[in-house]
Amino acid sequence: MEADFGKDYFEMRLESIGGLGANLSGKLLGELGALYMGLNASSFASYGSEKRGSPVKSFIRYAKPDKEIRINCPVISPDMVVIFHERLAGKPLVMAGVSEKTKVIVNSGESAGFIRDRFKMCAGELFVVDALKIAMENKTRVNMVLLGAVAKASGFIPLEYVEKVVSDTLGKKYPKNLEGNLKGIRAGFENTKGIVIPNDGKYQFEKYEEIKRVWGFDNAPLGGVNPIFGSSVSNDLSASREGYIPLFDKEKCINCGMCDIYCPDMVYQFTEGEYNGKKAMVNLGPDYRHCKGCMRCVEVCPTSAITEGLEREHDITKTNINNIDLLNDNINFDDVGANSWVDSTSYTANEIPIDL
Amino acid sequence: MLGQKMVFDSGNELAALAAKQINYHIMGYYPITPSTQVAEQLDLMGAEGLHDVKLIPAEGEHSAAGICYGGSAAGGRVFNATSANGLLYAIEQLPVQSGTRFPMVLNVACRTVSGPLSIKGDHSDIMYALNCGWIILFAKVPQEVYDFNIIALKIAENLRLPVIIAYDGFFTSHQKRKALVFENDSDVLDFIGEYKPEVTVFDFENPVTIGSYMNEPDLTNNKYQLHIAMEKAKKLIPSVFEEYCNISGRRYHICKGYMTNDADVIMFILGSAFDTAKDAVDNLRQKGFKVGAATVSVLRPWAVDEIYDVIKNAKAVVVCDRQDSFGAGGGNLSIEIKALLKDFNSHADVITRVYGIGGCDFYVEDAEKILNDGIAKIKSEEVMKFDYINKYVGSGEKDLRYFAPLTKEMTSPENVKSGVDENGKITVSGGSIKESLSMPRRIAPGHGACPGCGIFINLNLFLKGISGNVVLLFHTGCGMVVTTAYPKTSFKVNYIHNLFQSGAATLSGVLEVYNQKVKRGEIPDEDVTFIMVSGDGGLDIGLGSAIGAGLRNHGMIVLEYDNGGYMNTGYQQSYSTPKGARSSTSHIGKCGKGKVTFHKDNPQIFAAANIPYVATAAETHPADFIKKAKKAQEYAKKEGMAYIKCLSACPLNWGDEPRFEKDVIAKAVDCCYHPLYEIEKGITTINYDPEKKNSKIDVVEWFAMMGRTRHLKNAEFKGVVDEIQGEIDRRWERLKVRNECDKL
Repeated sequence: MEADFGKDYFEMRLESIGGLGANLSGKLLGELGALYMGLNASSFASYGSEKRGSPVKSFIRYAKPDKEIRINCPVISPDMVVIFHERLAGKPLVMAGVSEKTKVIVNSGESAGFIRDRFKMCAGELFVVDALKIAMENKTRVNMVLLGAVAKASGFIPLEYVEKVVSDTLGKKYPKNLEGNLKGIRAGFENTKGIVIPNDGKYQFEKYEEIKRVWGFDNAPLGGVNPIFGSSVSNDLSASREGYIPLFDKEKCINCGMCDIYCPDMVYQFTEGEYNGKKAMVNLGPDYRHCKGCMRCVEVCPTSAITEGLEREHDITKTNINNIDLLNDNINFDDVGANSWVDSTSYTANEIPIDL
Repeated sequence: MLGQKMVFDSGNELAALAAKQINYHIMGYYPITPSTQVAEQLDLMGAEGLHDVKLIPAEGEHSAAGICYGGSAAGGRVFNATSANGLLYAIEQLPVQSGTRFPMVLNVACRTVSGPLSIKGDHSDIMYALNCGWIILFAKVPQEVYDFNIIALKIAENLRLPVIIAYDGFFTSHQKRKALVFENDSDVLDFIGEYKPEVTVFDFENPVTIGSYMNEPDLTNNKYQLHIAMEKAKKLIPSVFEEYCNISGRRYHICKGYMTNDADVIMFILGSAFDTAKDAVDNLRQKGFKVGAATVSVLRPWAVDEIYDVIKNAKAVVVCDRQDSFGAGGGNLSIEIKALLKDFNSHADVITRVYGIGGCDFYVEDAEKILNDGIAKIKSEEVMKFDYINKYVGSGEKDLRYFAPLTKEMTSPENVKSGVDENGKITVSGGSIKESLSMPRRIAPGHGACPGCGIFINLNLFLKGISGNVVLLFHTGCGMVVTTAYPKTSFKVNYIHNLFQSGAATLSGVLEVYNQKVKRGEIPDEDVTFIMVSGDGGLDIGLGSAIGAGLRNHGMIVLEYDNGGYMNTGYQQSYSTPKGARSSTSHIGKCGKGKVTFHKDNPQIFAAANIPYVATAAETHPADFIKKAKKAQEYAKKEGMAYIKCLSACPLNWGDEPRFEKDVIAKAVDCCYHPLYEIEKGITTINYDPEKKNSKIDVVEWFAMMGRTRHLKNAEFKGVVDEIQGEIDRRWERLKVRNECDKL
């Protein structure tokens, strides 16, 4: 089958979180175009020393077989954007360059109307697919389901080629997962339907622009010295959590400090107080803005004062204890984490680690 | 033309594929982003038995280059890959390689040179290699990386010169593109031809001396020989390009122009950005401007005739430099183009634009803007002769203070007390978890470590035992990268990062200036504790420097968080990785059996340097950890260097769940892989004996908890596991004897 997308490049951008498998999807889509569809293609990911749970972008370009791919920059006017998790809404440049010509696929169980508003999508064709649910039903991962959705939404990528590239690559490496992966891809294809969002002026077009910081060459301290000590406290990492939070029950707490020792993210706020009629350091509770949801505290708490709960069932804004060492509570937080609601099997599943 | 097949691979993958097809004797290497994948891919193929290349993981790039030099002097075909500071660390070896005339091939995935540290691409590394006597080929796309790797070896062996293949880090090293590769490895080998080294140290009938001590007239002649070789290279390279075209159908040129024949303005640009420039040329041509673009695929030798021939008709040459020779009015490319034009008495204007520093993306619009500057120049408009693109002034917002600075009083809560016993031995007491809660945090939350990361648990435990003012120095590694991503920092106390070859040396300098300033009354004595923090990786490459500080007995604490691998770069094996463990440079496969050597025993290495205090600690024994930190502080202040090693969980690369890491560490302690002990002035004390607690387990139980070692449960690995158990038992038994006897 000859692919026809009617112009020089067909450009895709995958918006995801480290650990969800977008990097692998990008590689597979590139290979699909280059080796299965006879196109010219390139694929690469946003690079950095990103750790698990950080936002990542992956880029794929298709071109006609005889067209040289001359650009190496990020996709800034995408023909397709695939969003691996709805909590990426509002993250930097996720919707940048999305216009009438763009097909946007979002992994979500919500309605298209809700998702349009959530992502402030100005225009384009919107495909909402509950990839997580489909992945769980078919014992596969979100990225496989979304590959099926990409084929459907593109209108020119044949489903059988997607199945073939996955069989030839992942199937060889992880034969046990192949059946589930293929079922997931097919289900993704079948359950993806698009609606056209007209450019009705409800939301503005967002231009892809490189980030400019407060410190430039005329005011940055010389040599990269950073005098704002402890400033990472203004990072909100809530979105690194994978759907679960530790719940703190002060009544059960014996102020033993185990959670303090075993929390890598310095979440629990201890202050001088009184416990059992004696002066003691007492636990006020967690500052969830720095909690990545590793659940180490739940495992070490001797009295079940800390238990695991589903984040969506709790309004943590009401119970949050702001970091007690802050001079001023009124600071602007940067939302730097991202939600990767993945099951624990992902730690050993078919993810190819991103090279740093 | 010979049989070829289409692949979709990155530059690094294709460099590795070429190396596999050539079947080099050895690759001496040390991982550094973005070149690491070359060794990883080669290891992956080796694990499947696809080649015989012996991969030798050095403890740093300097040694990697040394391994390669030795291999080439032994008459072997030798291969390496590096980037940025790796190239600079190795650079002393480069003129040795060329000056004594041994061929080899080195891939350089170009990356910006530290500091401040960044891992992304520019050309600040490769330009340091210009004066090293190596041929430098520059590949702009993955296809060229593959082709040049084959061409390079033929040139190298023909001229007895080493060759670098440079390519843009990430843009070319990591971007996947279509490429044609030879189907048969034998075709590649036939093209290169058989290697008959003229010199080897294995000809015992004709012994040779390699590396003479040489004085004035001889050295001049030696260097002139190198000059002659480079002149020969100018003629040889085009003929090898031609031969390669005959077998591949791909024709290369020393200098390549795009629409340059009638161009008034030519952009001269290196690497992946050349193709982007072509799009800009097309756009401006459509508007009627006579512009063009040119690049070189051979950076050394600098073939002035071929280059001038391409750019000779330009009225203005706009040189785009992806680095700066600070203060010289341009990067090295600008300087060389200016010199070249002078050779031909050209009156063309040259303007310089520095672009793409530290991986800044280069858009077609950027290239158009730069070309427009050239157009303005030939219209005699006012144009900056030299400028940086992508720079910007700041917005001048007022800086905020998040925390009150930690005072000596605040950080001295007396949660753990120290003293001296009747024998003059340092004692500590306290250190319970509850007591330690009053110690304020020296590290702020909001760092970017993975969920469940062990580094911060270890750091916090350690710092709970340290009272008063501190100066921290971190080696490069996860602990550094996740805390100091500009413009933020997690440190609430004074902190320095230096590269891991010289962290301890840096802290020696800090400490001695402190002593001098106090002595001279320039600053008050604030009773400062100096602490170096390193991963196990930093103490592979930086071990020499750390031991040096130990031999000087500088009063500092070295804290090693050992997660058993180079985790910051995607988990390559370190010397501390368990034997048999899977890593991205010790794959499991038909022929690959994981890491082949035992885990390094750093506490014993430091003990052998006779520093006053050595200890091991674990998060499973928090009070013990806190007390050891306090003891280390006392020793550092009173006696000299103290070293503490803790085992640090890495859920991502250990392949286990963050929430259960405490149990994993507990098993490592209980199987005596990580025994808890301390050595005070040569006297060993075991602090936790799992045998006495009836909790001793076999190491395989620990291995079974982690994805990286789970395969060791299988029967086929029984031999390896027995060996590891034997080694652990041997080390443990020796510790027990030392525990019993003060003299050992």
